Amino acid sequence: MKKIAILLIFGFLTFGIVSFSKSYFTPIYLDIPKGFPEPVYDFKNNPLSEEGFQLGRNLFYDPILSRDNTISCASCHLQQTGFTHVDHDLSHGIEGKIGTRNSMTLMNLAWSKTFMWDGGVNHLDVQYLHPITSEVEMDETLSNVVKKLQESPKYPSLFKEAFGTDKITGQLTLKALSQFVVLLTTSNSKYDKVLRLEEHFSEMEQKGYAVFKQNCASCHQEPLFTNDSFENNGLALDTTLNDIGRMRITQNESDRQKFKVPTLRNVQFTFPYMHDGRFETLTEVIKHYNSGIVQSPTLSKKLQQPMQLSDHERTELVAFLKTLTDKEFLFNPRFSYPK
Amino acid sequence: MLLKTYLTLVLLFNCLTSSAQAKSDSLLVRVQFKFDKAALKLNSSYISAQKDTLVFDKIKFYLSDFRIVYNDNSESQNVNTYHLIDIEDAESHQFSIGSESEKEIIGLKFNVGVDSLASVSGAMAGDLDATKGMYWAWQSGYINFKIEGKSSSCTTRKNKFQFHIGGYLKPFDALRSVHVNFNGKFNGNGKNQVNLVVDLGSLFSGISLKETNTIVIPGKEAVLIADELPNLFSMQ
Repeated sequence: MKKIAILLIFGFLTFGIVSFSKSYFTPIYLDIPKGFPEPVYDFKNNPLSEEGFQLGRNLFYDPILSRDNTISCASCHLQQTGFTHVDHDLSHGIEGKIGTRNSMTLMNLAWSKTFMWDGGVNHLDVQYLHPITSEVEMDETLSNVVKKLQESPKYPSLFKEAFGTDKITGQLTLKALSQFVVLLTTSNSKYDKVLRLEEHFSEMEQKGYAVFKQNCASCHQEPLFTNDSFENNGLALDTTLNDIGRMRITQNESDRQKFKVPTLRNVQFTFPYMHDGRFETLTEVIKHYNSGIVQSPTLSKKLQQPMQLSDHERTELVAFLKTLTDKEFLFNPRFSYPK
Repeated sequence: MLLKTYLTLVLLFNCLTSSAQAKSDSLLVRVQFKFDKAALKLNSSYISAQKDTLVFDKIKFYLSDFRIVYNDNSESQNVNTYHLIDIEDAESHQFSIGSESEKEIIGLKFNVGVDSLASVSGAMAGDLDATKGMYWAWQSGYINFKIEGKSSSCTTRKNKFQFHIGGYLKPFDALRSVHVNFNGKFNGNGKNQVNLVVDLGSLFSGISLKETNTIVIPGKEAVLIADELPNLFSMQ
């Protein structure tokens, strides 16, 4: 009897605490842009809140994630360039060490099933472990990150606001990062506005769109401009890197030199291009698909024939690709360094 | 609202478990580390059947999905629990498994490792938290069994050997199931506890460290080691 009474009291207390703490969270939701599919990310396991988003944003821009507190996520993922590292073919991390691949963009990741150029990561929440622990990126351990966050004057209260506890864990740290990253939606480019009948393509852009649909859209599928799959797009093997791509993960010969099909949104600003950043301009990229494809057993079936575009068509295609630029996204103060 | 429902459930669960404890029908499992006949400790040396001399720095592994087998061959419901056993953390060496029956207990079933569902479900809590150092960064998934140490037989840097056995994707799935039969050694009417022995000597009797000393990714080699893992477990 006594036990039941104690349990009841405990129960009421718990409810009291919950009702009280509930007022802390301000739920927010991912807006699914018109024409976009259902997101892949499971929000039930990580319900978004304004507090969680702001915590994740603080973590994203904080070098506390790296061993010597010098490198943040934003070091290689800059908002104004679609959250990638411009001007570097291979991205560099801690102590100026150079990685083996070009940093990826961070856009519309709520719709992505796999992450990294080789798809080795299967869930957005565990993506951050890679840069945090990589010897050439942040060279830190998650347990030490948690320790530093717990000891910082700033973070325990931010975790309390976001998750109702100031006991920081690896799980909560990773989920907080996702609360920010999963909301990096870009859907307000000229292309989107044309589709929403708010703007019109120029004649050149319209022709470029036709060229795109004919030659590129089977992999760079609208509206995300990726089909989230892996392809060998006919790049000659860089023998200084010998990167076998997807095959490193599956150990399957049929995946040799296959890499994630990247989104083309904001492609005007995400240079250099390809997994190893070998092309600096869109013109070079189109030239590759037009006449530079290297044959190999795993070459994408969609690239068996060169595009053979005329000079005009190539210019038109570039004009179309530039309509994928979303300045509202690239300069959205909500995604920038937290003040 | 969701949170409230969740907490109500937690509360109910608490009631249930506290009454279960009152009836003392749970089974206490104690993990004991051995190398052949000897008790296994870190930083002591052991000689394997392959004549390799080994010193261990780290032994950590997951045991999951425990089910109790009763004398009518029925099994307790699996409760999706994950136990990270770390030789350095004495607290992890013993844990209780709830039993729902008064029937005589004749064995235990469990898995060595973490199932594929948990491996694709993102950031997990408790023993599955990525801070435990058992989650791969470049290729998602848990390390099921981690053994690190040194042996003069290894021509690697600092004579190190490293076995990080895991992987959930077919055909290199490294999760293995174990069935330990108590063979009458356990008397269900007495104290409800068993000593679960894990014998690393058995594993290294089949590994020549000169040839095989570093397996840190999922694949064919990891699968061969994973196949041996169930044989390490026995009841004492």
